[in-house]
Amino acid sequence: MSEEITKVGIISCSGEAIPEGTIARLAVRRVLESLRPGKTATLCLPLFLAGEEGERNFAITHPTISIDGCPKQCAKWGTEKHSGPVSAALVVSEILGTDAASCSRSSRHASQIDRDAVSSVAEKIAIEVDKVLAHT
Amino acid sequence: MEDGAKKKPVLVIPCSGIGKVHGLLTREATYLVTDEMAPEQTETMCLALLVKGEPEAVEAVKTQTCITIDGCPKACAEKNVKIAGGNPVVFTVIETIKEHPGAKPGSPTELNDEGWNIAREIASKIAATAARLHCDGEGME
Repeated sequence: MSEEITKVGIISCSGEAIPEGTIARLAVRRVLESLRPGKTATLCLPLFLAGEEGERNFAITHPTISIDGCPKQCAKWGTEKHSGPVSAALVVSEILGTDAASCSRSSRHASQIDRDAVSSVAEKIAIEVDKVLAHT
Repeated sequence: MEDGAKKKPVLVIPCSGIGKVHGLLTREATYLVTDEMAPEQTETMCLALLVKGEPEAVEAVKTQTCITIDGCPKACAEKNVKIAGGNPVVFTVIETIKEHPGAKPGSPTELNDEGWNIAREIASKIAATAARLHCDGEGME
């Protein structure tokens, strides 16, 4: 990877059908806005998969981390199919285990349990960002 | 239904774009429809799963009536459902936001009160459409 690389791309599955998708999306936003601002960028998965060259090229020229809600790992699959191997792949259901069962899909019902879940996943992502940047 | 046949729910599929508040509006409007306004008539599915080509997801958009909600003109939800073989009824957040000049609905992370009002307005339109589609017999088993 080039020494000029200063940003890591983070791609969330944002799976709509499960709470873990919401947690993935919010955790990525937390990393972008609070935990590692300036060191990370997010890629819009539907846009990426729809063929947007800008998104795909960013993932080719920058290290990427996929955040998936479930073991089907759609974000990882899409990134690797269109742009190459990801530098790290996290799965929310593996991080949280059964803790995600009581989380909400909609943020209008967000409780402390949801906020804790997002924080936990966001911390994991931030650690991976640091690891990736340390090796570029 | 009198004949006992079970209608399949209408699929409501948002783009969930992560970079702008418009993506969050699609997502929250979807949950307002599927969880609150029309839970018996609608359900959502993971757009990424569909794009990945998961057989169950592809089969669902081919056999169930679909509504897509997109946040921007790139229309990723609509495009991807069509690529998978679906024929969605299309909604865009932009159309509703145009009815609220100067609106600041929040951020990609969180909707404010204005954002929730807009999300609810979008959801009401979708729920009405879903009810009509469901009653018309589309999406029947």
